[in-house]
Amino acid sequence: MDEATRGALAELLLTLADDEFVLGYWDSEWTGIAPMLEEDVAMSSVSQDEIGHARAWYELLAGLTDADADRIAYGRAPDEYRHAAIMNHARTDWAFTIARRFLYEHADAVRLEALARSSHAPTAELAAKMRREETYHLLHFDVWLRRLAEAGGESRQRLADALQRLYTDAAAVFTPLAGESLLLASGILPEPLDGLRLGWLAAVTPPLAGLGLPGPTDAGPPAADGRTRRTADFAWLHGEMTMVARSEVGATW
Amino acid sequence: MVHGGSVRAPDEDLALHYAREFYGRRQESHRLWVVPRDAIVELDDPDLLQPPFDRSFKRPGGYLIKHKLEAAKERARQGMTDG
Repeated sequence: MDEATRGALAELLLTLADDEFVLGYWDSEWTGIAPMLEEDVAMSSVSQDEIGHARAWYELLAGLTDADADRIAYGRAPDEYRHAAIMNHARTDWAFTIARRFLYEHADAVRLEALARSSHAPTAELAAKMRREETYHLLHFDVWLRRLAEAGGESRQRLADALQRLYTDAAAVFTPLAGESLLLASGILPEPLDGLRLGWLAAVTPPLAGLGLPGPTDAGPPAADGRTRRTADFAWLHGEMTMVARSEVGATW
Repeated sequence: MVHGGSVRAPDEDLALHYAREFYGRRQESHRLWVVPRDAIVELDDPDLLQPPFDRSFKRPGGYLIKHKLEAAKERARQGMTDG
């Protein structure tokens, strides 16, 4: 693999890892305060899954760039993270969390389906493994979307508002990458990100329509800053999630 | 089939999800069967489950076989040295 392609792959892996990492942190904030005990356990467990996936992507990236996975995860400034804009928002309320999860899990599923066919074997293997675990995430948040939508009243209204607020930032999962043409030429990325975005639209539109909820519209390729724009919410989360690592720099855990 | 435990859930889908989280997320299960509480048929008659007479003969512990076992071992040992 030439240097430029390696750089492009590193860029892709960082986006995959950061999406899972930041979402895992946001939703682990429900631990102890989810709507009921069973869901508390489920949400905590699903969030742990995401941190586990992030760890796997960070380690693959660390091996590729001769870096340290923990340092990549916890040692960067807020503006060095490359998660999609949908992870810029605070946990907010349960309806918002479910809306974000529903939109992201389907985006992740479309992306992993493509990456499982990657010409880069370690990426393909990881993606295939993660798809098995993400199946349950999809089921879980599809069920919750339906429950909140069918509950009517305030639940449905909050859900509809959250979805509307998130559509643009959700599509940012498919923000074009600087090295995307190299990834496509080498088969590391089997399909253009914008093609995957259309796959995502096709995946989320029917269930939303079935519930009578307005879906996202095809607004074309996401803005170039979909993975670089940052918010005060994320600056706060960054402080939380790096707190322990910063307390004793260089410590071995 | 052994009883894994119980979960509270508002519908069948979430009951399965929560069963998976509570009794399967550590890879400790191969299959889970989930039934609603009102589908459980209960037997709790003490005359059937805790009858008043001595039932120790129904349990292996009801037989004192330790000395018989030792005697059998001794015989086997003798047989080996004799043979």
